[in-house]
Amino acid sequence: MVDTLIAGLLRGNVYALGAVGISLVFGVMNVINFAQFSFFGLGAMLAWFFVAQLGLSFGIALPLVIVICAGLGLLINLIVVRPLAQFLPLAAMLSTYAVSQILDNASQIAFTAQFRVFPQVLPTSNLHLGTMRFGTSDLVMLAVTAVVMVAISAFLKYGKVGQAIRATAQDQEAALQMGIPVGLVQHVAFVIASALGGLAGVFIALYVGVANPTSGLNTGMTAFVAATLGGLGSLLGAVVGGFALGILEAFGIHFFGDSAREIITFAILIVVLIVRPGGLLGKVPLISTEPLTGTFLGKGRPLQLPRWVWPAALVVGGLVIPLVAGDYVLTTGTQVLIYAIIAAGFTVTAGQAGVMALGQAGPIAIGAYASALLTLHTPVSFWVAVPLAGLVAAIISSILASPVWGVKGHYISIATLGVGTVIVAVIRLAVPQGIYGIPMPSWGGTPLATPRAYYLIDFAVLVLTLLVMWRIRRSHLGKVISSVGADDVAALASGVRVRDYKALAFAVSAFFAGVGGSLLAHQYTYIDPTIFTMLMSLLVVTIVIMGGVSLPYGAVVGAIVLIGAMELLRFTPELRIIVYGLVLILVVRFRPGGILVRNS
Amino acid sequence: MTFPTTIGRRVAALVLTAATLATAACSSSASAGGGSGTAPVYFGVSSATTGQYAQYGQQFKQAFDLAVEQVNAEGGINGRPVALKYEDSQSDPKQSVTVAQKFVSDKDVILAFGDYSSAASIPASPIYTSGKLVQYGFNNSNPAFTEKGSEYQWSTAITTTANYRWTADYIKSQGVTSVGVSYLNTADWGIPAFQAFKAEAEKVGLTITDAEGVLDTSDDYRPSLTKAVAGKPEAFVHIGYGPDAAKLVTQLRAIGYQGTFYGGQDEKSFDGTPDAAGSIIAAQFVETSTDPAVKAFVDAFKQKYPAEQHVTLFEATAYDALHVAVAAAKQGGTTREGILKGFREVKDVPSVVYGAVSFDPATRRVQDPKLTPTILKDGKWVEYKKA
Repeated sequence: MVDTLIAGLLRGNVYALGAVGISLVFGVMNVINFAQFSFFGLGAMLAWFFVAQLGLSFGIALPLVIVICAGLGLLINLIVVRPLAQFLPLAAMLSTYAVSQILDNASQIAFTAQFRVFPQVLPTSNLHLGTMRFGTSDLVMLAVTAVVMVAISAFLKYGKVGQAIRATAQDQEAALQMGIPVGLVQHVAFVIASALGGLAGVFIALYVGVANPTSGLNTGMTAFVAATLGGLGSLLGAVVGGFALGILEAFGIHFFGDSAREIITFAILIVVLIVRPGGLLGKVPLISTEPLTGTFLGKGRPLQLPRWVWPAALVVGGLVIPLVAGDYVLTTGTQVLIYAIIAAGFTVTAGQAGVMALGQAGPIAIGAYASALLTLHTPVSFWVAVPLAGLVAAIISSILASPVWGVKGHYISIATLGVGTVIVAVIRLAVPQGIYGIPMPSWGGTPLATPRAYYLIDFAVLVLTLLVMWRIRRSHLGKVISSVGADDVAALASGVRVRDYKALAFAVSAFFAGVGGSLLAHQYTYIDPTIFTMLMSLLVVTIVIMGGVSLPYGAVVGAIVLIGAMELLRFTPELRIIVYGLVLILVVRFRPGGILVRNS
Repeated sequence: MTFPTTIGRRVAALVLTAATLATAACSSSASAGGGSGTAPVYFGVSSATTGQYAQYGQQFKQAFDLAVEQVNAEGGINGRPVALKYEDSQSDPKQSVTVAQKFVSDKDVILAFGDYSSAASIPASPIYTSGKLVQYGFNNSNPAFTEKGSEYQWSTAITTTANYRWTADYIKSQGVTSVGVSYLNTADWGIPAFQAFKAEAEKVGLTITDAEGVLDTSDDYRPSLTKAVAGKPEAFVHIGYGPDAAKLVTQLRAIGYQGTFYGGQDEKSFDGTPDAAGSIIAAQFVETSTDPAVKAFVDAFKQKYPAEQHVTLFEATAYDALHVAVAAAKQGGTTREGILKGFREVKDVPSVVYGAVSFDPATRRVQDPKLTPTILKDGKWVEYKKA
């Protein structure tokens, strides 16, 4: 038991360091900063480069890494994050994701994608307690964390700039009125966070022993959970959350195995959020609307599309493309259509109900598995399996997500991310082998497995999806759901059962995610859990934001741009992701409300 | 807002949409033909040049480029040079299927290599099959890639089943009676591999004291490891890749376990990990082998890429794969049907991994792949003979 506890303390230390930076930026800017994840990977690679390649001593390398990360952080905040964060936290979040893509890939080009052995700058297993061994390196890390935490707390408590940071975190408007240069304060916070990210990255690599440019993502995700657990914006919370998560995970893995790690991590998070909706030490958010979208809805109005656009789109998408295009375009088109179906369905949750759920890979996976298992093990045909898969996804996801609707603010996004991740992790435990030979669609014994047939089937489903979305929006139900998204206190006061309608909206979205998953499964004919990743969830969210968060047809445009862009950029394979990231930043920068949304 | 601006934006949105589709359409209308003469013979490569598996994509590319250079220096395929068309799939099924379709539509491509992971290869297989294009998954050790595939799926990778059956037998033959096991809990590789190991261990009487499924995305294995070695096994087996094995062996030693480590991979991060020294694995390719063909390959590789200190199985398999594909095209002809015929007929193609490659037409895998026990010494894998 003692050794598990020590293992937990050591991993908790790393999470805590990572979580502090995330919490700091969130506190002063109200932005979830995905770029922080990249600083973990970058810090590790820079330290590796300085020590293993240039032969610098660790004592010189470490400050160098911190300075470089701090500088980069300033640059990113100046150019990308702050201009957006001022008026649209959601767009800023998306842009930090784009920045993380650019950073990871630039680092991959600079250092190559190889995993590298991280030099052992200090002994790692020269001491022991019971059967557990640890090293001077672990003690130094613990000590550095302690010193950094004390220094930051002192700075925040007594330093002039620190006090300004706290004031800004508490109320940006008021801080501004009191003469605090909020912009400067935000820069300082971002710089500190980036430097801490680099430091944490070096420590992660020291602890783990190997690093590669993208290795920050996984620890980053856990550090993010730790920050949420402690209460976003609370630094002490981040530290407590980090250690609590590290220790609980260690014991969880001890009893249930490493395969259950993600389930353990997110189960802890969800339970804590239900009991304490603001995290362990955070404040329960005062504004009860989802800040990600609630403030977002008023920011723009959809472009008025003339009526001829619809028949024209129908003719182009349903007739011209299938007749003219080659198989490659049709196959790409099929991917676009499937993601458009998923994203269009998701606009009910994201746009109307105002909840930016982050774990859509969960219902997509349920739909894919339900459809695969139904068609393989029962006489159910493809045509029946597709809607059934949607239904199964809607029912299971709603039941699993039902506890999270009481959670408020950003926390609900993170809780839904947890639900999605847990769904995929449970599927991995339940059906560990991949599923092969999922039947392709057929009609009256004729297989419909050509790229054109897939395209047409999926096009028809998309048209149906958009029709359903249109009906929902125009119905009384749709108006009620929209009222929940626009102002849930007002809705509640008018007697609307806010929680239930959020759940209903989520069920509708999960239905279409399930349908999309089913279509994917029958096209791939093979599925396994590695297909349904967090990146898939992020792609859905990105598509929706890109098109306009409450526009189902905007999702189609978003899917064309985001999936089409990846294909269009094939001419520059090495720079593909970097260019993709830049395109994403530019689009978000100039159309922060979505491509089809006019800024007001 | 003024009327013209609205129109402008609306038009911009539509133009963007149209442009996306149109450009995609153009790039697909590949030129057909290029049948004979001195026009290059094209093979497609679907692999990860970016993203989390980019490490392997880069290793494959180095070896492919070297092999193409050599083949062309020796006159190519009956006077026609060989050329590769690379497409980045990020080893993501969403992209590997479009890449497959791109290759199928491109009449110049007579064979496609890849993808890296089975989760990306298998979803692309139906497209290759319906396009009658050979999909040569030289890295796909998941038996299902060929078993569940069609006559168009071929592989020179040893199956996880063969590999881990051998491993269980070998460990038992070393006089070991009990092992602790960790394996990657992944559907496309780790789980089938572990199941093969477990079945064989039961058969030969090798006790598994505890088996822990782990994820390669984890960084901290200590809680799993303390449990896996609690039953005091004589040796430890890790069924996984190089980077995770590197983290794992370091932590295994850190918790004080001293038994032999049967695991790891010939891969930079593992080879360079101090605690990995003394690890034993079944190798298909040994860089330090005295075999002249291997020596020639290793020397040529290091000459072309002076920065690379090691040549691993990943480079070797890609290098071999190109030579096998060339041999098949020489045998059956430089068309899609021809190369398929070639795969069915080729015998004893020289190989740096297996010595010589012949396919079993029923399984579309290498006949009798040989494995050699190797031990990691001073950062290099050498053939292991027990003193």
